[in-house]
Amino acid sequence: MFDTNLVQNVLEGIFSAAFLASILRVTTPILLPSLGALISDRAGVINIGLEGTMLVSAFTGVVFSAYSLDWFGESTGRLIGPWVGLLMGVVLGVLMALLLAVFHLRFRANIILSGIALNILGSAATVAIMFELTGDRGNTQGNLRSMRMPFIQLPDFLGDIPVVSFFFRIFDNQSVMTWIAFIAVILVWYFLYRMPTGIHLRAVGENPEAAASVGIRVTRIRYLALALSGLLAGLGGVHMSMGYLTFFQRDMTSGRGFIALATPYLGGGHPVGTGLASLVFGFFDALSIRVGSLEIPSQLPQMLPYMATVMALVIYALQSQLAARVRTLRSAEGAGFDAAFWKAIRQLSVLHMFMAMLAVFGIIISIGMFAAPDGFKGPERAYPLATIIGAISLLLIVLNLPFMLKVERIGAHVARAAAVAILSLWVYLGILFDLMLYTTTLKDLALILGFGAGLVAAAAIWLALGGYYLLTGHRRRAPVPA
Amino acid sequence: MNPRRSLATRSGGLLVLSVLIGLLLLLAISMRVFGITASMSLDEMRGAIQAAPDYGAILLVNALIGVSMMLMIYELRWDALRVILTVAVALVFGYLMTAFFNLDAANRLSSGEFRVNVVSDVGPLVDIYYGDRPSGEFTGPDADEPLTEASYRFAGSAGDVLTIMAFAEEEDSPLDLQLTLLGPDGEAVAENLDASDEQRQEYRRQLESPGDAILENIELPADGVYTIVVRPEPQSEVQVGEFNVRLDTDAPSPIDFTYNQPIGAVFNAPNVDNPLTEASYRFLGRADDRVSVLAYVFRSNIEVDLQVELIGPDGSVLGQANDSTEEQRATFRGLLQRETDAALEGVRLPEDGIYTVRARPEPVGFGTKLSETVKATNKAYNAFLFGPLSRLNRWVTWIKDAITLIMLGLAIAIVFRAEQFSLGAEGQLYFGALVSGVIGLSFGEIPKPVLVPLALLSAATAGFLWGLLPGALKAYLGANELVSTLMLNTIAMRFYEMVLTFELQPPNAGYTASDWIPDNGLLAPIIDVSGDQVTIAVFILILIVLFAWVLIRRTPIGYEIRMIGANIKFANYGGVNTKRTIMLAMAISGAVAGLAGAHLALGIHRKLILNISLGMAFEGVVVALLARNNPLVVPFTGLLYSYLRVGAQFMERDANVSSEVVRIIQAVVILLITAEALVTFVQRRRRVRRDRLSSDIQPSERLMAAPPQPPA
Repeated sequence: MFDTNLVQNVLEGIFSAAFLASILRVTTPILLPSLGALISDRAGVINIGLEGTMLVSAFTGVVFSAYSLDWFGESTGRLIGPWVGLLMGVVLGVLMALLLAVFHLRFRANIILSGIALNILGSAATVAIMFELTGDRGNTQGNLRSMRMPFIQLPDFLGDIPVVSFFFRIFDNQSVMTWIAFIAVILVWYFLYRMPTGIHLRAVGENPEAAASVGIRVTRIRYLALALSGLLAGLGGVHMSMGYLTFFQRDMTSGRGFIALATPYLGGGHPVGTGLASLVFGFFDALSIRVGSLEIPSQLPQMLPYMATVMALVIYALQSQLAARVRTLRSAEGAGFDAAFWKAIRQLSVLHMFMAMLAVFGIIISIGMFAAPDGFKGPERAYPLATIIGAISLLLIVLNLPFMLKVERIGAHVARAAAVAILSLWVYLGILFDLMLYTTTLKDLALILGFGAGLVAAAAIWLALGGYYLLTGHRRRAPVPA
Repeated sequence: MNPRRSLATRSGGLLVLSVLIGLLLLLAISMRVFGITASMSLDEMRGAIQAAPDYGAILLVNALIGVSMMLMIYELRWDALRVILTVAVALVFGYLMTAFFNLDAANRLSSGEFRVNVVSDVGPLVDIYYGDRPSGEFTGPDADEPLTEASYRFAGSAGDVLTIMAFAEEEDSPLDLQLTLLGPDGEAVAENLDASDEQRQEYRRQLESPGDAILENIELPADGVYTIVVRPEPQSEVQVGEFNVRLDTDAPSPIDFTYNQPIGAVFNAPNVDNPLTEASYRFLGRADDRVSVLAYVFRSNIEVDLQVELIGPDGSVLGQANDSTEEQRATFRGLLQRETDAALEGVRLPEDGIYTVRARPEPVGFGTKLSETVKATNKAYNAFLFGPLSRLNRWVTWIKDAITLIMLGLAIAIVFRAEQFSLGAEGQLYFGALVSGVIGLSFGEIPKPVLVPLALLSAATAGFLWGLLPGALKAYLGANELVSTLMLNTIAMRFYEMVLTFELQPPNAGYTASDWIPDNGLLAPIIDVSGDQVTIAVFILILIVLFAWVLIRRTPIGYEIRMIGANIKFANYGGVNTKRTIMLAMAISGAVAGLAGAHLALGIHRKLILNISLGMAFEGVVVALLARNNPLVVPFTGLLYSYLRVGAQFMERDANVSSEVVRIIQAVVILLITAEALVTFVQRRRRVRRDRLSSDIQPSERLMAAPPQPPA
């Protein structure tokens, strides 16, 4: 269907150091506000206003870095301008978050609605002030001489060491904001899990009354959580306008503040998980830029991160329900509780869910191909492919659905569950490996090798996720009452 | 309170009051729209009304606006005051904001393009300046306008080193030129007949003919007016031909302009890169010449207030002027146009020498600045507050916009009633617009009475399904509806874009949009003001309002929605199937939002365009919040908010104030409306001040009363 050379170019692009570097680059503005969302979430005060906060910070950063040239003179301004912009951007970010905090905590406003107000305010105020300052409603390009945050160069000798050089090419010449973002993951983890205030914060989020009863100042903690989320969102905003670009564009965050609300769910509420979830989004973001050179509608890859979020929400919700059930079971069964068995079930249920969710991708892609075949080289080529993709996806969903809805079936019908899980995994991994091999010298053997390796890997993953225990250890114990 | 009694008080004075206020609103709007004033006679009024197209329908819509006001007062009672008050506070905030943006209004008095001119009967004293390159053509003594010798005067100062060239236009021309430089006293300073070979080599780009002449590196002996004389060598055979003269030097010109030659620049705002707030121009003056120094604006849209000074060769100020009189404007017709231009008339120059004209904007005092700001803000706010009623087509714009907004407000009111913070209306709107648009586009041959209901029904179904999805996720899986709807919105928008770009856009179309929807697919107009139409969507809207009201107030499911909204745990214990109800509430809201999309496609744009909605769902949130999620109040708040939205567009157009101000107002409205404790906070502040001694704040009050938890 597609020009093979083009496909090969795109694939080579995807499995390269440059692509991995670009993932880091586009992850940064998602990761920073995601950490902010995580902190506010864990304190039980979800900060919907991240998007508006980011916009305000992005704009403030540009304005102050541009004006610092006037204030401090050309040479000094060039040196400290970016940092002045960063500082003011972050300060404004914190102020925005505190505005939300005051309205929610002091005036008892609904935090979601005030968050929406904050987003509207951020979007509108930046455009209005930009219009006043520059006479332009679109962007500040050409009117404000903004500056860029510095890039960090790694020592050159690292590029000469064989294996290290691959990583050198990933991490060299990244914006300082990217480093800040990934260091922030560690800092947030340390704060939430190792510092008393962070532990109080999580307690407040779990149960504010209980936290208050042991003397934790709930309101104060929540003020702090919102301020921190504003700080992190501010960093993300500054990165948007000054990390790689040197201008502010109206609504330039384009929904990253909202994606950031979803990543903590995908990351299981943990800073490292949130970081990984952000990387997933970064991957899709970077992918949608690369895939643009294939002749498919650019809107399709643009949808992927959002679909992924919805699916992550579903998986997170299902897993939370399952976790609650397992907790109840554990307290009910006491010593007879088979922890390893339930761990295996939970892990394998994630696998089944993930398989089904990926298949939903397939369904949507197939619907898209049916709805706009002209974007995929015409109906006579799009319809057969869409039918195949749709049929396979539907099959995978139907096969996996029973094991998602009633997870006990994974343990009760081990053979059937194993067959479904391994078959589903095999389809995806086979395609993936096939594509990866396609870019190498093994091009001709890609199909056989790829799907062969896919089957082995699928079986290995199933066994590792708990299949091994179900096949062996679980038999030795008494069956679990349903 | 006794419900029967409350009903009695309601239906008594309140009803009369609300009907009266509704009637007043009807009257006020109709008068402005039809352009009726109180001083008109009845016949004139009738004439004015009948002059408008479809005046009956216009009156009907105005009556509906009155009814919406009535309903608002009747339903909200004292809360109505809070709604009005909130909007008023937000408007005041917006006024301050607009004033802030207009702080530079006085800048127009100190920036803009201007000209300076020294008018004299004498005529120009010089012809060229350093660096000029005049040219001409010798025509011989027998031509109609004979030119056998050209002379150019310029002002030079002692010590300047000049290179003067005279050369024929064409290469290897037979024209043989002679170049003479005369000093201020008329004596020849230097003369040249032909350039040497070295000079011709050095200046080969100019001196291309053997007869060209050059005076290289001449140092001027004194200040004064020098004259360059160029003529063909008398003994030469060729006496006609085009020639060029160059006066090159590195030295700066001693003067900028001369009598009767206007010169000018642009005074700009003080915060640009190269500010210009004062301009000085030098000219050569002769003793006893009578001159008038003028500084004036020559473009009609520039209002800079100028002042001008004339400074003598010795640096003394010879005269200064701030304004021009009527007679002066008559004398210098074509130059001076307004009173703020400056004219210094009839100055006799005391001596020969270089004079300076200094022009600058008149300094603007703080009072002027303030009054200019207030004036500009008032002008902007006038356009903002009365713009939508100023013309009939603007009124139509308002009504069209309001219909969409009310539909969205109703959609959001339904979900918010169940305390579900779904923002999916945007995506549902896109799907509604897409589905209805596609049906309208592809089945144009089906008669209107079948096609339009079919399209509307499909739009509602599409919205319903797109709302069902997050509803099911929320109800059965507990997936955060806010995040999921936001994500689904983007997916819907991208999907819409994809179908529009690759399927619906006609080939060779300049921009991304579908064809016009055929007439059978469009909503029928009831008001048509030269192409701007209000359609039967008005009646569809009434049906939707009634539906939403019946749904929430008069059906079991509405009761369940309200119960869930009040307390979901209680509803659960009370036997409500909360999951099903939550899912249905979100889906029904989606159906209404889908209809809003259909209205956009079939009623307003009449085709599918990119970015058909641009974040209107968030505006729907304001509408629903202002209405306290009450379907009967939504029409009024929708009209009110849409009025501000449309007004802001006219403010931007008429007064050049960013229409984003209205979105800032929107944010303030949301914050003020949702801040439940703001009223009590203000009250308590007052009380605390009153009994400062007996501090009555309980320590326990400062602890968090747990706010509603966002569902994990």
